Amino acid sequence: MKRRRPAIIGVGRTKFGEHYERGPEKLVEEAGLQALDSAGVKRKDLDACYFSDYFLQITNKIGIEEGFQSELLELNVPMERMRSFSSALLNACHAVQSGKYGIVLVGGVEKMTDRWDKIRDDLMLLEDPWSYYAGCTPEANHELLLRGYIKKYGISGEELEKFNTALAQISVKNHHHAIENEYAQYQRDISVDKVLKERSKACKPLGLYDFAPISDGASALILARPEIAKNCSDTPVRVLGSSSATDYVTFPSREDRTSFVASTIAMKSALKMADIEAGNIQIAELYDQSTLLEMISLEDLGFSKKGKAWLDIYNSCKEYQGFYEINGKKLFVNRNGGLKADGNPLGATGGAQIFEVVKQLRGEAGSRQVEMDGDPPRFGCISELEGFGTKAYVHILGRT
Amino acid sequence: MSSEPIERRVSYIGDRLRGSRCTLCGKEYFRGKDYCGKCGRKSFGKMKDIDFFYEKGKLEVCTLIGEPTNKFVKLGPYVYGIVSFQNGKVRVPGRLTDFIPKDGELDLSCFEDREVVPRFRRRYAVTRSDIVPTISLAFTLADDYYPHQEYEIIKPKKEYDTPGIVGYGVYVSKFRIKEGMIERSVPFLDEDAVTAAVEAGKMALIHSGVDHSLIGKVYVGSESNPYAVKPIASKVAQVLKLGMEEKTDGIQSVDAIDTEFACKAATSMFKDAASLVYYPHARTPYTMTVGTDNSQAAPRDELGGELDLYVGYGGSAFIFGMHDVIAELEGWYSCTSDTPDFWRRDREPYPRHGGRFTGEPAYFKHVLNACRKLMEQLNLKSSDVDYFVSHQPNIGFPVRVAQELGFKEDQYMPGLQVAKFGNTYSSSSPIGLAAILDRAKPNERIIIVSYGSGAGSDAYSLLTTSQIKDKRQRQKFTIKHQIKNEHLEYVDYTTYRRLKHGL
Repeated sequence: MKRRRPAIIGVGRTKFGEHYERGPEKLVEEAGLQALDSAGVKRKDLDACYFSDYFLQITNKIGIEEGFQSELLELNVPMERMRSFSSALLNACHAVQSGKYGIVLVGGVEKMTDRWDKIRDDLMLLEDPWSYYAGCTPEANHELLLRGYIKKYGISGEELEKFNTALAQISVKNHHHAIENEYAQYQRDISVDKVLKERSKACKPLGLYDFAPISDGASALILARPEIAKNCSDTPVRVLGSSSATDYVTFPSREDRTSFVASTIAMKSALKMADIEAGNIQIAELYDQSTLLEMISLEDLGFSKKGKAWLDIYNSCKEYQGFYEINGKKLFVNRNGGLKADGNPLGATGGAQIFEVVKQLRGEAGSRQVEMDGDPPRFGCISELEGFGTKAYVHILGRT
Repeated sequence: MSSEPIERRVSYIGDRLRGSRCTLCGKEYFRGKDYCGKCGRKSFGKMKDIDFFYEKGKLEVCTLIGEPTNKFVKLGPYVYGIVSFQNGKVRVPGRLTDFIPKDGELDLSCFEDREVVPRFRRRYAVTRSDIVPTISLAFTLADDYYPHQEYEIIKPKKEYDTPGIVGYGVYVSKFRIKEGMIERSVPFLDEDAVTAAVEAGKMALIHSGVDHSLIGKVYVGSESNPYAVKPIASKVAQVLKLGMEEKTDGIQSVDAIDTEFACKAATSMFKDAASLVYYPHARTPYTMTVGTDNSQAAPRDELGGELDLYVGYGGSAFIFGMHDVIAELEGWYSCTSDTPDFWRRDREPYPRHGGRFTGEPAYFKHVLNACRKLMEQLNLKSSDVDYFVSHQPNIGFPVRVAQELGFKEDQYMPGLQVAKFGNTYSSSSPIGLAAILDRAKPNERIIIVSYGSGAGSDAYSLLTTSQIKDKRQRQKFTIKHQIKNEHLEYVDYTTYRRLKHGL
């Protein structure tokens, strides 16, 4: 199987944020063209397409995205639509690996601001209906997990202050990273004080600056069979591991409510596929829907010890050098600004995470390029969630 | 717009918090499940129906919801969290209700690890033409105003010759408005006539110890049903699981009916409820009558706004039967005339009333007539009566009527509750009756006279039995508890109107 690991030969994306004047077709066109161009392949070379969107049905009355894309691309090849970008990529990988297709387009789009007044209600579709009926909001479970975490690990007093600061530092760090990312929704610095102030204003454990925004945007990539990839690109990035896992949609019913077991399972199996260890990963794009989720992901994916991620973050951010230092190893996290600052147009979010890792592995990330001993990183991972830890996807990319 | 099939399924499960227990390993689930994940295939057919309606839970973790989703906006801000039952065997999401967070710092940890009681409430706001959504994933703290009470079914010991009251319950909300001499009960945002009816019925079941499945008929009297067409009684029957349930189709062997006659909608049915349990072929061992109202009144500066000084909120329920009777129904007398002293036309939001005509030709004429005729019939003098209670639209009317009938303060004061709850419309005189039953000794005579605008009165004579004392320990939520309580919350006029208007 290792031989047949598919390669990402081109990536593309739009700027994330509010695209008032542009419909979903314009966004997906921009990202798709960029991916095709960077891969050096033509629209007609595509054997199949995999798309992702969460809410196009609701936000833009597009029920069969495949038909919409067929019309846009003027192609009649097989197309499938998934929810998250990672899910589309996972399925595309399966198809390419099986030998069925040679060149595949994976694209994601979301147009959340087209339903600004109702989008938070729409987001509740990602929770179980009973939580919704009881008054849950898209943010509430993050805060319940946080409360549970503090109680489980007995964090109080000075430690709790450090813990809260560490979460604020995540937001500050991601905003700082986004300054170098021309595609990011927010290219400006914020301060720890500002994050804390918003929390206390709302009387809540997490505030405005802890959560990813509502965004529009699109992202795309071209996936190819390795032998084709060789002809297209000098620096193909291979998908070494691609995995997913599921968990109960009802958060209160889960056995452990202080971590996401689906993330842990997906990571384990992706690492096994890639035949590497978590310690080999140098750059990670984590799903920071809230600052807390970036912290929890560090634990769930096996970078930090359980109950200790906040301390790793706190210590790394005292004098932040662009990476977390965990167990003496450098880990670059959310160099594009994460969901917090880069933006979170659900169906396109995973594509932007992959875009970043591909660019970094290829050494094409420009002013935000990270280096390990003078070279671009070799292994990167992307974790994406659907719902509140209900589905977890992990992709491991590598230069080979 | 809400969808009827979804509302049916959600409220069927959610109003009572129905679930399953695996009889093989004991694992429990919120919501019915056909098999247990731990025991696998062998547990098919071995899952037992359970519910958490009478359980006590624990609020494990919580957060403040400052910006709720659209349908919850009116309820916000509120505390939301995870509630566990049976020491963590089952966890459900839940909203703290009856709680108005104050501005400023809120310490979430002061709610966590506290015991909570599930409450049957409206779920969220919908448009006026939609089905009213309900659920019991609303909770209040167990050490607050509303205590947790276990519901224990008790095998009856004695059959009586005369039917009577075997148990009763009153529900008045935690919120009050105090203006001058009068305190009045105010519903929380998610309360209405339906939720008070269920609460009162629940208290009556707890107090009586009667098996809910033996209740053959439930009458619910109200003039503030949120629906113009659709009974409240069906909801009361379903939530309290009255009658035997045929599980396959979710139908219960109970008759449920709404009644309406202004403030005597409930008392009118006392005799029907008692007669039905007395009729040998009816196979109806018990019946329940409920009176419930979120008493309607226009805002003070509008037409009909004078009522706004007196209206309260609450429900009362009485279970009638022939076994373990606490007060036998000795006799009754009812009278009626077509006197339009108070009315609300269809599609009008608030009732109007006939001003000075509500007293002499309406209230006094009917109440005095009914009581005098009943006493004549039973050959009673006022000194033969231990307690007297009548409908209480204000303080003056019931006092004057009692005095004209020759009753003294110690006879009529125990039942006079209007100064504490306001006029609770169809529960007005029944709440007075409950206050008397809360304190009455065996072998005492109580006369209750209701009054309903429109107009008519029902007078009843009740004789208490020795069982009244035995059952008293099963009633924690007494009238006294609801009047005098450190957890009562007083609101200003603006808040009162907002809460009363509801979702």
